[in-house]
Amino acid sequence: MATLPSESDSGQSMFHLLKGSRTDRLLLLVSLLLIAIAWFVIQSRVSAGPAVAEIYHDQLLLATYPLPQSGESSHSVIVQGELGETEIVLDEQGVRMKSSPCSSQHCVLSGAHKHAGEIIACVPNRILVTVRGKSASDFDAIVE
Amino acid sequence: MLIPRPSLSELESRTRWVALLVLAIGLHLFEASLPNLGPWFKPGLANLVTLIALVLMGPRAALTLAIGRVLAGSFLIGTLFTPTFVISMAGGIAAAVMMIAAWRYIPGISLIGVSLLGALAHMLAQFVTVESLFIQQSVLYYALPPLLLLSCITGWINGALARYIAARLTHEI
Repeated sequence: MATLPSESDSGQSMFHLLKGSRTDRLLLLVSLLLIAIAWFVIQSRVSAGPAVAEIYHDQLLLATYPLPQSGESSHSVIVQGELGETEIVLDEQGVRMKSSPCSSQHCVLSGAHKHAGEIIACVPNRILVTVRGKSASDFDAIVE
Repeated sequence: MLIPRPSLSELESRTRWVALLVLAIGLHLFEASLPNLGPWFKPGLANLVTLIALVLMGPRAALTLAIGRVLAGSFLIGTLFTPTFVISMAGGIAAAVMMIAAWRYIPGISLIGVSLLGALAHMLAQFVTVESLFIQQSVLYYALPPLLLLSCITGWINGALARYIAARLTHEI
């Protein structure tokens, strides 16, 4: 059983409060390491090939569309979910949900996504959009 | 037949539990009405109250507080028995169970480590719930690492806050 915070904790600076015990720091290190490994593995899986958006309804892959590069025209897709129709727009900014029949509208508010591994999930309507592959505009940011 | 009056200390502990519950519900509502931080991400202040309850009152109080908070909070927001509610409940219970286990069985851990593990369990439980009940797609997990990273940060900060609060609450006034 861990110890209760001692009285001496209360008089100390915020920095000291944030320090944590040796076990805490070890746990943080292990967590960060696992997250970094998972992130690396996932990125190496999803960033191959050209940038595409995949649209799922529950277990079913409905469609895969290439993300429009700069200069290419945008287009929109309407898919049928659990509650109704979700409108998905693909343009230079990436892929976004333009309208959704869900009440929370988190999916619409989350905006456009174009980086590999990003997802837009509308749980009430059970629509999932994922981005895979490298978009051409990404290289500008990465190459020094 | 008369119902025996509970002892003063029992009444005091019940009152304390209800006070913490009301605080947790308030924070749950506050977090739900925050401007868009993304549907998956909240600072986890309501879970902070679960941690305080664990320190002050023990595992049972912490678990019932987490469940009561999600029930009442979702009822007030209007998401009771919707997917949002199910996800919140799974996250709240997972965090409570993880924090209880960490508090009991990991030697040398402070409230910061307990809170860190609770935050990670909360995030993982949300994704597992969505994947198993609502959108059965493993691609969902691709979004997990950056969110877990944020959980580490909020979990750590909340743990420090909990230490600060608990150190004061355990003083005699």
